[in-house]
Amino acid sequence: MSALEIGIWSFPVLMGLIFLRVPIGLAMFLVGLGGLVAVTGDTLVAFGRLKNETYSTFSSYSLSIIPMFFLMGQFATLGGMSTALFKAAEGFIGHRKGGVAMAAIGACAGFGAICGSSLATAATMGRVALPELKNYGYASGFSTATLAAGGTLGILIPPSVVLVIYAILTEQNIAKLFLAAFIPGLLAAIGYVIAISVYVRLFPESAGTREPIPWRERFALLIAVWPVLLVFGLVVGGIYAGWFTPTEGAAVGAMGTGLIALANGGLTRSTLTDSFLVTARSTAMIFFIVLGAAFYNGFLALTQVPQELANFVVAQGLSPWMVLALILVFYLFLGCLMDSLSMILLTIPIFYPVISAMDFGLVSLPAMQAEAAMEVLRNGVPEGMGAEMLVSIQDAIANGAELTREQMKELGIRVTQGIANRLETEYVAIWFGILTLIVVEVGLITPPVGMNLFVINAMDPKSRMVDTYKAVMFFVGSDLIRVVILVLFPVITLLPLMLLY
Amino acid sequence: MHNYMMGLARIMAMIGGAVLTLLILLTCISIAGRLLNGVFHSDGIEAMMPQFADWMTAHVGPVNGDFELVEAGVAFAIFSFIPLCQITSGHAAVDVFANSFPPQANRILRMVTEIIFALVLVLIAWRLGAGTVSKFENGETSFLLEFPTWWAYGTSLVAAVVAAIVGIYMAAVRSIEALTGRILVQDGVETQS
Repeated sequence: MSALEIGIWSFPVLMGLIFLRVPIGLAMFLVGLGGLVAVTGDTLVAFGRLKNETYSTFSSYSLSIIPMFFLMGQFATLGGMSTALFKAAEGFIGHRKGGVAMAAIGACAGFGAICGSSLATAATMGRVALPELKNYGYASGFSTATLAAGGTLGILIPPSVVLVIYAILTEQNIAKLFLAAFIPGLLAAIGYVIAISVYVRLFPESAGTREPIPWRERFALLIAVWPVLLVFGLVVGGIYAGWFTPTEGAAVGAMGTGLIALANGGLTRSTLTDSFLVTARSTAMIFFIVLGAAFYNGFLALTQVPQELANFVVAQGLSPWMVLALILVFYLFLGCLMDSLSMILLTIPIFYPVISAMDFGLVSLPAMQAEAAMEVLRNGVPEGMGAEMLVSIQDAIANGAELTREQMKELGIRVTQGIANRLETEYVAIWFGILTLIVVEVGLITPPVGMNLFVINAMDPKSRMVDTYKAVMFFVGSDLIRVVILVLFPVITLLPLMLLY
Repeated sequence: MHNYMMGLARIMAMIGGAVLTLLILLTCISIAGRLLNGVFHSDGIEAMMPQFADWMTAHVGPVNGDFELVEAGVAFAIFSFIPLCQITSGHAAVDVFANSFPPQANRILRMVTEIIFALVLVLIAWRLGAGTVSKFENGETSFLLEFPTWWAYGTSLVAAVVAAIVGIYMAAVRSIEALTGRILVQDGVETQS
């Protein structure tokens, strides 16, 4: 068998192992190890790599952001910030139709801004909001579905652990990815609120009512949210102001939420122990998958499967949009079976080369040149430029034609195809990352293995899984509509990047 | 036995958590130092009180080699988190299909998986040991602080050995379960099968 064939065969073997309930990280590690031995015909290379690879994977500076975000999420839970957020949101919109559920979504979005994990967000907000929803007569299945969906905001709204992994796999800038996730994250929250208002109109008996409270009380509740704003502002502001890197930002965030939890009396010896244990368990789980993926992807790269696959797809002459749509649909189905991080680690090394070989035409060279030229001309016509030259440039801009080297030299600008291509690659990488993030997160709330559904359902002994499944379909529907919108209008995702960089 | 192993795994996780906390503090101190250094370097302060600014910029700054310490520390922390994940069956897996197998088949499947997992953890510890030895022999040091790289490898190795021990213990537990049909360590998966 050639290396390429071994590489191709490794995939069904890997999937077989995973479906036999072999832990995903272990399965990838085993197939990577076995494949490497098969390709090189010896254990020498594989064992030699193992001497340093485990240590170098675990000692990665950029990955150290992950345990720090986990600890930050734990401390945020202890600091009572989830309660403050929910009370404030409830005060403002709780009296509307379905308002308490909408408030839960709003609080999830706020909590997502200081927590990078979906399960932690769902679990934390579930503890706070479930009893309240029940008090006001909201149906069980509807309440659990709302919180499970709200939990996905934890990862859609930055900081986000999944985006960190994506950034490392595709060698993109973490700060830029976080920035690009903002608008889609907000759209997600708005979409969920709309889903709730549709649901309570279709099933009026599923939601109770709540008396409005005076405005003075509402603002008092709003003020109690200050720790969340402080931590979020410090971490995100610090990263974009260039005070520190995203990894350092995670340390600042963990410290900030830790201090707030300490001040609120939420951080005691026993809760600190619990935080460490939960962090330890999730961190070890993720890093074992990261290790397995590193090993498997190293083997795949050796067999050249990703490049060959990319070449193959390009040679088919499919439209890039078709390829993108197929990949996203594939994720939706895989998401029914697998957790989001495993999916990203398993598939991005294979899909990303395919996507980056496609031309989506997000960046147009003439448009970039025209913009740069207008910038110059707005400050007056450069000295020594002939009237003829000026007319020819204006013609080119008006017709959307590329500027010649001569014209650019006269203007003193330099916008080449190479620069446009680099920008296009970056935009596609970031846009694809956000789309992937959203579709893999849908997997968290789709049956049969939506983790968020299980976490929330376990908190409410009375709710039946079937009711939750039924209600959560409205949220899944809102997710799907949002994905279509973001695919059709890449500018929604990329706008903050275009403005800031 | 189980309490003893669980205690071991929890202690490792606590030590790892403490190291992680120290790294967070270290990073924050380093950032504060760097930002303050920038403030004292600013034109205003240097013009108003030159000596004070000189003294402060010489003494206040980022922690030297913070980057290296974070890398070495976080590697140790993650290695010491593995035993707890192992003993609580915290690894992510897809159990939709396995759930439809008969209970006895599932127990045997788990036995095989845990034995292979234990072998892999032993392999990792063994190769990390070989890595430590080669770092010791070639005398490699870190870039800024110049501490020997094998120290970092060595501390991680201790945690990796504990992970291997816990892995072997869990393999034994699952083997006994498969052979006797009696569940010794509950982790929530049994109720579904």
